Amino acid sequence: MKFVKYHLTFILPMMAILLGIEFFLVFDRATDSYRTQLQEGYSMFVVAKKPLELKDFKRLNSHISQSEEVDKEALAIQISKGVNQTNSKEILKALPYFYNVKLDSYMSSSELRSIKEDLEESDTIRRVETFGSSYTDSYKLFNFIQFTLKVFLGFMGLISFFLIIKQMEIWKYLHRERMQVMEIFGASLMLRSGVLFKTAVIDAIIATFVTSGVFLALKYYWAQESRIDILIQKQNLLFQSTDFLILLGISLFIVIISVYFVVFSNKD
Amino acid sequence: MSSNFVINARNLTLSYGDKEIIRDASFSVKKGEFVFITGPSGSGKSTLLKSLYGQIEPTEGSLIVGGLEMGGISNGKLQELRTHLGIIFQDYKLINEWTVKKNVVLPLMIAGYSIDVQETQAERLLKHVRLSEHKERYPLELSGGEQQRVGVARALAKNPFLILADEPTGNLDEYSSNVIWDLMENACEQLKTTVLVVTHKIPSIFSNPYRHFIIESKGVYEVR
Repeated sequence: MKFVKYHLTFILPMMAILLGIEFFLVFDRATDSYRTQLQEGYSMFVVAKKPLELKDFKRLNSHISQSEEVDKEALAIQISKGVNQTNSKEILKALPYFYNVKLDSYMSSSELRSIKEDLEESDTIRRVETFGSSYTDSYKLFNFIQFTLKVFLGFMGLISFFLIIKQMEIWKYLHRERMQVMEIFGASLMLRSGVLFKTAVIDAIIATFVTSGVFLALKYYWAQESRIDILIQKQNLLFQSTDFLILLGISLFIVIISVYFVVFSNKD
Repeated sequence: MSSNFVINARNLTLSYGDKEIIRDASFSVKKGEFVFITGPSGSGKSTLLKSLYGQIEPTEGSLIVGGLEMGGISNGKLQELRTHLGIIFQDYKLINEWTVKKNVVLPLMIAGYSIDVQETQAERLLKHVRLSEHKERYPLELSGGEQQRVGVARALAKNPFLILADEPTGNLDEYSSNVIWDLMENACEQLKTTVLVVTHKIPSIFSNPYRHFIIESKGVYEVR
């Protein structure tokens, strides 16, 4: 029991940090994926007096990556229903040119406004519609959730880090006699702290495996059984093999920082 | 260590905060000598011993141990010096979670000797202190006398040029005490190791030549 408590008091706060980091990674990937989805499905609507090619658009703003002309004849047919053919041709002639314009990346509202201004500066372009509001509202919500998650995880990480430091101080106290004897016989600070490093590294590896296990279970069992479409479709975002290395790297980094913090902050 | 002196103190003052323990002491110890330091309780014997392995820095004056000035000594040099000292404590200061064998080879581990060398030395030392059959046991499974023999073996592990002992027989019965004195006399005689012992009373069985300092009224005086 004592042995389990000895290790759990380190493993649990470490897991809290790692779970937080993994949640953040998953949410970050989900946001990125949503952003790509938004960007791919988004296009501006441009009304021009003369026909324009992609290079003309690119000259006005370099973020424009594609332009597609809307079929004017189909539009003219709709408008000129019941009108004779001569008049229909006149309508077609009088109609401006319509384009769906795509961008090379996700743009904020202010960037969209700037692109609109660049396009409207051209004499050839009559009107630009960005549909900015519907485009950014959902993304802003995502960003807000991401921000609050970051604050919460940061706070949780800080508290967990202090718990880890506290636990290390307890370990240092438990091993103080051994460390004192080693010091008297000339052991360096690193060698004396070896026992702290060793225990912490083993516990950090255990915490990484357990955290990875939790997310793998979420990915392969819970996500499937939840029947939530978005989770099933984006299952690959839940845990990736590189995440294990990221978590392991971070946990070892925390071990190094906390051991140094404890060992150097109160040398006695 | 170019000088013939293993320890050389000149006008040495040792203090804890504002409280002076040793004042203006001058003495020296040569290679291969056996030295006793006696004095009443609280006279500063242990403080003087601690200053010799760098646990306390001189407040004033000069203290040279193994050619190194102890005042303002760097951490690196102090660690290096300590790896060449053998220290024996009244309360043994063994690591209870380690086996007897591992305790004995601690100075060799610190110095980075290979496992093979550690094994060979452990066998030799444990045979020397007559504890070979206990090598895989833990200190708390041994008697006080046996634990102190482990402490002596540990002190001898790296052939130190100086052995410092703080009341090494203070907790032992007469038989065990005699075994410990015998081991220390042997180290001095056969290995030419300098031995400095802080004790209340010089043992009557001691047969070899020795020097005797007494600490009195904060001063260190040679009486023999």
